[in-house]
Amino acid sequence: MGEELDYAAELINRVIEGIVDAPGGPRIGLHVCRGNWSTREDVLLTGDYRPLLPALTKMRVRQFVLEYATPRAGEIKVVGRALSGLVPVQSPGPASHTDILRELGLGVVNPRTTEVETPEEIVARAEAALRFYRPEQLFLNTDCGFGCFANRCVNVEEVAAAKIRSIALAARMLREKYGC
Amino acid sequence: MTIFTTTQVGSWPRSRRMLRALRDRRLGQVTRAAFDRVADDEVRRTVRIQEEAGLDVLVDGEHRRDNFYSFVTDKLEGARLMSLAEMLDEMEDKSGFEEMLTTLDVPASAIRNPTCVGRLSRREPLAMDDFRFVKSLTDRPVKITLPGPYLLTRSMWVSAYTKKAYASQREMGEGVVRILREELQDLAGAGCEFVQFDEPVLTEVVLSGECGRRTFM
Repeated sequence: MGEELDYAAELINRVIEGIVDAPGGPRIGLHVCRGNWSTREDVLLTGDYRPLLPALTKMRVRQFVLEYATPRAGEIKVVGRALSGLVPVQSPGPASHTDILRELGLGVVNPRTTEVETPEEIVARAEAALRFYRPEQLFLNTDCGFGCFANRCVNVEEVAAAKIRSIALAARMLREKYGC
Repeated sequence: MTIFTTTQVGSWPRSRRMLRALRDRRLGQVTRAAFDRVADDEVRRTVRIQEEAGLDVLVDGEHRRDNFYSFVTDKLEGARLMSLAEMLDEMEDKSGFEEMLTTLDVPASAIRNPTCVGRLSRREPLAMDDFRFVKSLTDRPVKITLPGPYLLTRSMWVSAYTKKAYASQREMGEGVVRILREELQDLAGAGCEFVQFDEPVLTEVVLSGECGRRTFM
């Protein structure tokens, strides 16, 4: 298992080498989830990100885009402690880290449910993450995609639209509260 | 500096019209131009909905993609789209794979895999057209999603087909890295603001507790 995770980290680092550090280049993110092929919560994978940390900490991506809208994802402190600092350098020399701060793309709505999360619920999720991240390090997003496999979508457009409206409203509330 | 930037992970629900166009394309019953006319409409609507909702970084909704990783077969030499049901014939552990699909509620005929059947190279860019089109619709920053190198290295290797082209999975992985790197360089050069690599299979490696088992991704 450890070998597979190391290999996954090595692969992504080789893809982004020299591009992730380039000024003015794209922000590079990595999305990890527990599956989006079924609306049955019981068959999707459960567990926090702890077992993945040895690989994630080695990855030189700026942002991790992670599910946090379902209890299956575990507690925010798991990644908050390990993945809120600086992106490591390609090959450790005098410096071990770049000056690029990691970001978290916080999943705040479940793309598979018909119930729409309220802006207040989303604000509360973001505030839990603020214990580990500064406001500029936090992105708010869906847990995963809404569409997925070609002839089987996990949600409908009306619900998806309402969910992204909730995210935008929550961001507005958070900016009023934490903006300078 | 922007704080609490809002965005999405990638795919948007597909309309009946889009689903029909995807099916017709699979069956070879529609021209690329006709398919694109449908997809362009869907992307326009998806962009408008995101702008009206007030999102900061927009996605195109991935309407053109069979799924988030299998779509690479449209763009690559050496890759073929295969349904999981089709792949079953070549599986070493057929009954185990079948049982996993049932237990996990995986729609085997609906999920298609990008199987490596030859040496891999880009016939055309994976997402540059998507980026240019969505950029023509909005002034806001755009996020482009690409399948991660580990997901592709794992899913594309189906030994019965791939061994003819590559001696090992690691060797094929070199090809995957090269392709994704080229794509990322192209996107960077075109001014893409955000590129997200999708690696869902990573959790499967650690959470399923069944090491070495082939997953459906």
